[in-house]
Amino acid sequence: MFDRDRLLLIVRRLAICVVLVVALAPVVWLFSIAYKPTSDIFASPPTLLFSPTFDNFQSVFRYFHLGALLESSLIIAIGSTALSLLIGVPAGYALARAESPRAIWLAYFFLIIRTVPPIATLIPFYLLMRDIGLLGTWWAVIILNSALNSAFVVWMMFSFFRAAPASIEEAALTDGCTDFGAFIRVALPTVVPGLIASAIFCIMFSWNDFLYAMFLTKADTKTISVALLSAYGTKDISWGTLGALAHFSTLPIVAMMILLNRYFVQGLTQGVH
Amino acid sequence: MFGVELSVVSRDGAASGDDATAFSTGWSYARKRQMFLAALAAPALLYVLAVAVGPMVQGFLYSFDNYNLIRPASRHFVGLDNYLALWRDPTARRAVINTFAFTFGAVTLEFVLGLGVALLLWRDDWFNRVALGLLLIPATVTPLVVGLIFKALLNPEYGMLGYPLAELGLSGPRGLLAEPERALATLVAIDAWEWTPLMALILLAGLKTLPTDVLEAAAVDGATAPQRFWLVILPLSLPAAFLALILRMMDAFRVFDIIFVTTSGGPADATNTLMIYGVKQGLEFFNIGAASAVSTLIVVCILVMAAAFIAVLKPGRNRHV
Repeated sequence: MFDRDRLLLIVRRLAICVVLVVALAPVVWLFSIAYKPTSDIFASPPTLLFSPTFDNFQSVFRYFHLGALLESSLIIAIGSTALSLLIGVPAGYALARAESPRAIWLAYFFLIIRTVPPIATLIPFYLLMRDIGLLGTWWAVIILNSALNSAFVVWMMFSFFRAAPASIEEAALTDGCTDFGAFIRVALPTVVPGLIASAIFCIMFSWNDFLYAMFLTKADTKTISVALLSAYGTKDISWGTLGALAHFSTLPIVAMMILLNRYFVQGLTQGVH
Repeated sequence: MFGVELSVVSRDGAASGDDATAFSTGWSYARKRQMFLAALAAPALLYVLAVAVGPMVQGFLYSFDNYNLIRPASRHFVGLDNYLALWRDPTARRAVINTFAFTFGAVTLEFVLGLGVALLLWRDDWFNRVALGLLLIPATVTPLVVGLIFKALLNPEYGMLGYPLAELGLSGPRGLLAEPERALATLVAIDAWEWTPLMALILLAGLKTLPTDVLEAAAVDGATAPQRFWLVILPLSLPAAFLALILRMMDAFRVFDIIFVTTSGGPADATNTLMIYGVKQGLEFFNIGAASAVSTLIVVCILVMAAAFIAVLKPGRNRHV
């Protein structure tokens, strides 16, 4: 009996290891290709072993204004995250505490807004931005990104606030605390994991977006994800450059997820239940 | 006296609490509280209405116009012509079929694989926690980059996956993504690579809420492992997973990035989805009317899915979903 349980556990762990290899191998390949000489990248049959080189990083610095790209991505991600949290968190709180069926319907409305296909808003928004002269600026991307992000924040914070006990706030209100004070000083500190999770997702969505940025920015405001596409589209730039560029576009987000894994997992499970 | 009365104030605005504050402001406590909450919710609601719903309505109106940005002056109302043109265009009909096939295929595959992974990770120990953390990495990789990774890996000449597949005769000489019959299925597999871990995480959270006494009772009563799975675990964890399934479905329905960079709809429209079709109409051919008709079609499809899930979940009655 003991041996059977032990065997079962080993089989399960081996199966998980296989799953992990399948999940991680493509990511490892992406980062490793950055150190691979171009001749080895295009070798047929493909080779696993190669002598590492930094040529691909040099071509990234040669062909791209990396600083400007990262600046655009950062400004858009931070701007959109700040705006989304600023308007989304209070709304999530209000809907969670309103305790009326209408409030729950509104929460579902925000959830559905998040699933709106980008093209439905992009074209009219593009024309609007063109008409008011914001096309090609960071503002255009921040404003549009924040619509979907804030809707997502409302839904997620709605779930977090609903899971947090309202009794402490009630006690504070009874003791003469103002409504606003109860929200800021009593309710907010209980949902810090939710705030962190919301921020992580907003940053990730904005940083990873390329459709909005591709059409709403111009040469000097474009983001690193737009540059990724042009890296791939240009003739004399190869997969190796893409891998090197991914060190700046993909690695930060992966690192953030690993460091803040607890909040990431909590946000994902809380956000859907 | 004041303190005593205030102590019964509750969020629901108990009657005596209303009296306590009413004489000072003229408004009942409950009403003031409602006004405060409404004021907190208003900015987000107005913002979303202005920046998401507004453009959508505008797009809906464009869908009845012949409006091409190359000839903006000749814009005029054409009624349902854009929709009729969609109906008559075999490429558009193919895109509708492809979108539904992709969505159904991807969500089914991700659910089955995700459930398998969730069952493997069910026991809460350090090994499984570390594995779960690592498993979520694919979900954080930019979808655009995911597409590019697999485009390179599947290349039949130098790709780590494509070369052996072509050598073994499992794919044609131009690779899986170049085969009209198999390109869409390949994209479903790529989508599953990215999103199965997320599905597994959500299903795992559902599994962890299962009452252990029910599982133990089933085991004591002599239910075999497959019986426990089909008769107890699956039915009990499905409701928790339902919202996740619907959300994934809506996301899969508007898939764009991975298709755009791998096949951009080809070969021979085999992977052309509504999003790809719409973006090409609007932002490549500048045919705003046609693109808006496509967007409206996508929104209607997504709303139908949303309505279906709301009908099943019945918010308000089931407070835990």
